[in-house]
Amino acid sequence: MPDPRHPDPRHPDQHHPDPDPGVDLNTQLNLHPERTLLLRVCGDSMVGAGIRHGDLLVVDRGITPRSGRIVVALLEGGFTLKRLVRRGPRWWLEAANPAYPPLALGGSDDDRLWGVALHVIRSLPGGRWPRPQS
Amino acid sequence: MAQATVLIDGNNFYASCEAALDPAVIGKPLVVLSNNDGCIVSRSAEARAMGIPMGTPWFQVRHDLERRGVVVRSSNYGLYADMSQRLMASLEAWVEELEVYSIDEAFGRLHRPPGDGDLTTWGQELRRQVRRQLGLPVAVGIAPTKVLAKIANRIAKRDPSHGGVFDLGQAGDPGPWLEAIAIEDVWGIGRKLSRWCRLRGIANARALRDMPSGELRHRCGVVGVRLQQELRGHSCLPLVAVPPAKQETCVSRSFSEPVTSLEGLRQAIATYLSRAGEKLRRQGQRAGSVTVFVRSSPFNGTRFYANAATVALPLPSNDTAVLLAAALPLAERLFRPHKPLQKAGVLLQDLQPVELLQHHLLVPLPPEQQRRREALMAAVDGLNRRYGSGTVQWAACGLRPRWTMRRSRLSRAATTRLSDVPVVRA
Repeated sequence: MPDPRHPDPRHPDQHHPDPDPGVDLNTQLNLHPERTLLLRVCGDSMVGAGIRHGDLLVVDRGITPRSGRIVVALLEGGFTLKRLVRRGPRWWLEAANPAYPPLALGGSDDDRLWGVALHVIRSLPGGRWPRPQS
Repeated sequence: MAQATVLIDGNNFYASCEAALDPAVIGKPLVVLSNNDGCIVSRSAEARAMGIPMGTPWFQVRHDLERRGVVVRSSNYGLYADMSQRLMASLEAWVEELEVYSIDEAFGRLHRPPGDGDLTTWGQELRRQVRRQLGLPVAVGIAPTKVLAKIANRIAKRDPSHGGVFDLGQAGDPGPWLEAIAIEDVWGIGRKLSRWCRLRGIANARALRDMPSGELRHRCGVVGVRLQQELRGHSCLPLVAVPPAKQETCVSRSFSEPVTSLEGLRQAIATYLSRAGEKLRRQGQRAGSVTVFVRSSPFNGTRFYANAATVALPLPSNDTAVLLAAALPLAERLFRPHKPLQKAGVLLQDLQPVELLQHHLLVPLPPEQQRRREALMAAVDGLNRRYGSGTVQWAACGLRPRWTMRRSRLSRAATTRLSDVPVVRA
């Protein structure tokens, strides 16, 4: 018996054939589970965009990154979170914190844009269990 | 409009999954080890280019790999299964019909586009999108039939000039292509049949296609004729959309160190039975019989020992406690004090759907008690799913057993466990 509290992410609607299906987050947040990943934010360079250290990030790898979107890029063997900005002919990865300098993207750096961040999940005290290991 | 059959499969699937979630190893030589960190079972393109052979025991090349900077990973089946599901879910959108054939390959059917009917561009776009959205490289073989699609896929993968996509249906006369495929490499040709073919001078796929059907029918009946028809471009193998209900469930592992005590064997059996019970409940099935099998190492000097014992359950069950009560006594029958055991497993057979028993008069427990047992199992499964396998277990499984599988280089459950998701620096 499928559990309506844990809908099968591949078929978000199959358990709710009735016209008022309740809120399914996959549908409401326009998520494509097969190409969506969760990442944990580490650092404070994006606080100006409302993204804090410890937040959980919902990242879609199937969206074309455009100027102004917050993207996950491959940098020095790790994932980096920045805002993708186009200024004239050049593309930049910009922090949302004046303490961090912007980073110029070269012409062949398309492969470095890994995904587009769509949502931030921040749990309030008592909202997350089990607690993350410190 | 003609129908096309495609075979899409992941290149170096396990190694590619490891790199898909870990930017630190992208572009580096990487190998994945089999159970118990035994042999190399998957190599990244970079490791392949370094000439590291498939199947090599790790202990033989361990220092060499370290010296050459090769990344070594234990098999992370949770990760591969999740990436496989993502891959198959993505492929659904590209074809009219999909048959998931294994963890990393699927057959698909679709109509050829009007005009020249070429699907090469379609295949290249599929490849590009899957690579971008999942980080997985795939190869695409396109042909009129399944057997030919397998061959087209092989050509796509072997010859880099095709860019990972090959349409055998658009390549003119497929004869020369088939001639380059050894008889042993034709899908569906077993070792016996290929030997029979070789004895008749039939050495490649083209010769098999062109041999008289009567002879083939005489040797292997309708199966062989179908295979030949497929090679001739006449589709006779349909896609199997839904996998058939499983007839048996097996859980077995090699031990990281030999099990020499009855207690150790009992713990291993209990652990495998818990896993098997969980599988059964997930599949909505009950088992009618439990088989336990054990074997010693063939290499440790003592005489090889292998044995198995089966117990039939009075009533089919998927309740771990019932399975344990029935199968644990088998440990005593199988254990030999002077035979260090290297491997053990449990096999659940005579499986039937749960619904079958709900209307049975001989329910094993009073209904109220039965419901509570089922609720308990569901709670245990839920906890183990949510917080990781082994969070809640039967005491018979033992605490911190010494014999568990060795997975010293295991990557994180990056896509299936919240505490393991990758970190993004901000």
